[in-house]
Amino acid sequence: MRTGFQEELDRVEGLLQEEGALVLRSLRGAVNAVQENDHELSDEVIAFDDEVDRRYVQIEEGIQLLLARQTPVATDLRLVLAMLHINLHLERMADYCVTIAKLTKLAPEVDPNPRLLEGFEEMGSRAEEMIRVALDSFERRDLAGAESLVDLDELIDRANRRVVEQLLALGAEPELREYGLRMVLVSRALERIGDHAVDIGEQTAYLLTAEFREFTDASHPTPREA
Amino acid sequence: MSQVETMSESPAAPVTIGDVAVQQAPAAEAFDVRGRDVVFDVQDVTVSYDDDPAVSDVSMKIYKNLVTAIIGPSGCGKSTFIRCFNRMNDLIPSARVDGLIDYHGTDLYGSSVDPVEVRMRIGMVFQKPNPFPKSIYDNVAFGPRVLGMKDDLSGRVQRALEQAALWDEVKDRLKRNALSLSGGQQQRLCIARALAVEPEVILMDEPASSLDPIATTRIEDLMHGLKENYTIVIVTHNMQQAARVADMTAFFSVETAADGAARTGILVEYDSTKRIFTQPSDKRTEDYVTGRFG
Repeated sequence: MRTGFQEELDRVEGLLQEEGALVLRSLRGAVNAVQENDHELSDEVIAFDDEVDRRYVQIEEGIQLLLARQTPVATDLRLVLAMLHINLHLERMADYCVTIAKLTKLAPEVDPNPRLLEGFEEMGSRAEEMIRVALDSFERRDLAGAESLVDLDELIDRANRRVVEQLLALGAEPELREYGLRMVLVSRALERIGDHAVDIGEQTAYLLTAEFREFTDASHPTPREA
Repeated sequence: MSQVETMSESPAAPVTIGDVAVQQAPAAEAFDVRGRDVVFDVQDVTVSYDDDPAVSDVSMKIYKNLVTAIIGPSGCGKSTFIRCFNRMNDLIPSARVDGLIDYHGTDLYGSSVDPVEVRMRIGMVFQKPNPFPKSIYDNVAFGPRVLGMKDDLSGRVQRALEQAALWDEVKDRLKRNALSLSGGQQQRLCIARALAVEPEVILMDEPASSLDPIATTRIEDLMHGLKENYTIVIVTHNMQQAARVADMTAFFSVETAADGAARTGILVEYDSTKRIFTQPSDKRTEDYVTGRFG
């Protein structure tokens, strides 16, 4: 039994879960900031990204050492490769949170539209749920849980389309147009966070089944997705 | 035992983007043993010493022009097993081989088979380099001389030394004693000695375990080149070596008999090296290659 090796695998996986918890905090901050047009909170979200990046680098270094010193094979190899990808997906999610915070600061101040705010709240909650499901199913090595992310993604995609429709209907005044343009990107960022959660689910599936497989294929959509 | 991997997918359909045809990436490197010539067809082979089985009921095929690695913990019978392929176990009075080793349609242990001819066609390299205390040239020329291969002997010696990647290092001192060479050079000399009689198969029993990492790399590179012309079977306790050099890998383990009395080696899993090291199908293989057992 390679005790040191197992400890190192556990340590890196623990860091990954910590990184995931930081992303959840960042996401909540970004969604609150955009809903309340809170520039101070936006700055905090932007600064907080350094915390995520620190974990990201620690995980990268841990994986580099595992590969260099332990030559993992079979399940261990799949775990290391899955963690390498999940790390990247989490880091990208945090970047999207920063994007949302920056867009919040750039957007002109307009009267809040309650239905739009509800839309962002829904998308933010769905993205949070997806991150939780992605992290939990990875931790519990739960294939069905990982696969359930596809259905959750469909829900956040629909919410995204509703938000975009409302933004298109805002009106033609320059200020509203600029606001709408910024907020389309916010909606898009939340929707992309959901996609990265699905990608984490795919890594869990790879770890468990050893098959490289996309849950859904955007370039060959099934009738339901088309 | 798992089925030998037989992936061979039809080529991907061409894709065009606008007017531009895009070459699709080939599917993950497929490894197909179907249609490959079988050199040895091993059927239910058991090798016993004084009626105690050292390795039991092994069935597997060795394919031509591939490197096949046999890995497993100490005492799993891997060295005993590889020695069956050129009847080296004949030299141990208490050893008995049951079952069939079919070599191109001939029972290797058939009564009409001459073990000396077997060893001419199936050469062997051992763990410790064992050159004769003779000149470098005479070491390589030894086999051809014994077998009466007199034509162009020096050309034959040179070819063997070239194939063993030793020629450039020794061409100016062929008359020097082989024992003056370094350990790694001595091992390559032993490989050249095996190659000089132009065998079909080369058996290697831990060929690099007494060598330093650089000499080991040279032996591994050599195996990679040699498989174009030879079939190689290697026993190694170094799993990463098997992962690096072998096309096919067999994992042997030790099993205690139901009555708890005798321990015997068994073949647990035999598959492409890629599968053994990424997705073994047997838990025991997984535990061994990931270092959780053995």
